[in-house]
Amino acid sequence: MSTILAIDTSTSRTTVALVKDGSVVAGLHHDDPIAHGEVLPRLISELLKLENSIDEVVIGMGPGPFTGLRVGIVFGQSFAFARNIPWRGICSLDSMGAQVQGSAIVAVDARRKELFWAEFKEGKRITEPQVALRHVVDSFASTALPLFLEGDIYPSAELMPAIIGDIREPIYIRRPDAYPSPAGVTFRAMNAMDLVVVSSLEKSIYAGEDPWSMEQFKEELAANDRYYLVAEKEGVVIGYCGVMLAGEIADVLTITVDPRLRRQGIGREFLKRLIDWARNKKAESMMLEVRVGNDAARPLYTSSGFYPLNTRSDYYGPGLDALVMKKDLR
Amino acid sequence: MSQPLVLGIETSCDETAIGIVRGRTLLANVISSSVEEHARFGGVVPEIASRAHLESIHSVLTRALEEAKVSLNDIDAFGVTAGPGLIGALLVGVSSASGLSLALDKPLYGVNHLSAHLAVDSLNSDHTLKPAIGLLVSGGHSSILKVGDFSSDVEVLGSTMDDAAGEAFDKIARILKLDFPGGPAIDKIAKDGDCTAIEFPRGLTNDPGHLYDFSFSGLKTAVSRFLQKTPDAKVADVAASFQEAVVDVLLTKALAAAKFHGLENLIIAGGVAANSRLRALALARCQAAGISLRIPPAALCTDNGAMVAALTSLAVSSGAPASSLGLAAESSTGLDRVLWA
Repeated sequence: MSTILAIDTSTSRTTVALVKDGSVVAGLHHDDPIAHGEVLPRLISELLKLENSIDEVVIGMGPGPFTGLRVGIVFGQSFAFARNIPWRGICSLDSMGAQVQGSAIVAVDARRKELFWAEFKEGKRITEPQVALRHVVDSFASTALPLFLEGDIYPSAELMPAIIGDIREPIYIRRPDAYPSPAGVTFRAMNAMDLVVVSSLEKSIYAGEDPWSMEQFKEELAANDRYYLVAEKEGVVIGYCGVMLAGEIADVLTITVDPRLRRQGIGREFLKRLIDWARNKKAESMMLEVRVGNDAARPLYTSSGFYPLNTRSDYYGPGLDALVMKKDLR
Repeated sequence: MSQPLVLGIETSCDETAIGIVRGRTLLANVISSSVEEHARFGGVVPEIASRAHLESIHSVLTRALEEAKVSLNDIDAFGVTAGPGLIGALLVGVSSASGLSLALDKPLYGVNHLSAHLAVDSLNSDHTLKPAIGLLVSGGHSSILKVGDFSSDVEVLGSTMDDAAGEAFDKIARILKLDFPGGPAIDKIAKDGDCTAIEFPRGLTNDPGHLYDFSFSGLKTAVSRFLQKTPDAKVADVAASFQEAVVDVLLTKALAAAKFHGLENLIIAGGVAANSRLRALALARCQAAGISLRIPPAALCTDNGAMVAALTSLAVSSGAPASSLGLAAESSTGLDRVLWA
């Protein structure tokens, strides 16, 4: 016997449902893109009149416009906290994808002419949720890969309890606007398509310093607790970085920028994003190694809060020592 | 209910704060601030603040309950700041409070952030509800108020025409290359300076049409002009003289209001009330004028949850009705609405 309360506020629709042992007791929704905070308590109150004893809360964690999204998340978490029952989060696109057959793209409004989207196959999501300009998403769509937009379908709380997942953090994808990006440079997660370009950059920049092979990058991408990013300018990869989480320590594995494009804030942006990731993963500190004599990189690290810890002899090869630097994240 | 156990939530800006009171006794006051994350932008970034609220609100809640040694099930009523403030930030607190209140079937009161700043004075053990002039000074507000009752009778006599006092501190700190937030930074360095070194203007002091209003933009311009002309000026002197100009005009107007309305009590509240020079000068001038001064301890002046709990507790005790289901957060709301219907 288990009664689940499901909540999603990731789109203009506030959707809630009570599902008891797999069957829907009741589902309610209300469409208003700016009133999630007012609507949600009223809908939940109606459901509690039908069944007040709840065993678990399932919450749509996004992606979606942030202000409305957080209403559902924090309400659901606080409700579960007060009742001393568990909550689990799922990707909000999944209850939309569950409504479509075959292969399809499902997308919701991300404001600023952009969409949050993911690709589905037979109701299951096969890509990570991403953000892109509306016309870019339109260009993927075809007869073979139809596009379902918010409005064609909506998240459905009734379908949420059946969806597998236990996401603990909101799926924001975009960072707060205040973070300035170097002009014309975009940042995204590294994927298998980047391996050739990344390993050839690595080979040319670190010639004679034991550069990583393509195979090593491939293994890194497949490994757990890693986070790799690339920077692109005009569609060309111009740099990459990566970090590994080991227990409570996040270890910066590489921050590499095409030498012709250095001193433009790309390295700093990489480092900021790695720090954000590590903080999200609840790392207590961040470490990195910098070659003794690499004076160009040091100011970036010290101004970002890293301090020297110790020196490792011959780290980069005979006579090439590394300085280990640390930043406390708590 | 004479001694209600009340939990108050405050998320209107960059502090995620929860306070617990029993009647007028403070049991817990826990604050998590995202100020460090905003420092590199020189001001509060709404989206960063909202994300931080969601991230920390349940750990703040846990700590507050531990500190107060009470269980959530014992809470008689919940209070939450419903405005004014950053809308995305307010919504985190309001939605969390709605979730708690519905889960436990306990009343929820949406309260005014500004009124709560004043009402925190009710946690003083020797507090009695005497009519008073309120000087409310923070990063977002600078007002002179006539206070009959914290939860039902607050009249605005005047407010700022441009920058709030705390905003002026932030902007001058930036010009002087001091840290964000500017209030504590200027307060600290001003201790080494001479507050009579430079005579900065006192805005709106001779304008009968704006007896109780403030304007700090002229002062800001005066400071930057002075620095352009005098690049070698001692920063501590500039900071001290600027601070003196702000504090002087705040107190002159507040005391004039007290005199005009025949009130013998002055309450100073809001984040700027933590300023040490404001506290010292207020004490001296009130003594000279025969006015009884009340300023909450510094920790209760900056944004906190105890003030929300304090105001809610007064509302519960006076039998005020709880807010209706789905109360709406309001980013800009005046003092005409103390409690949300």
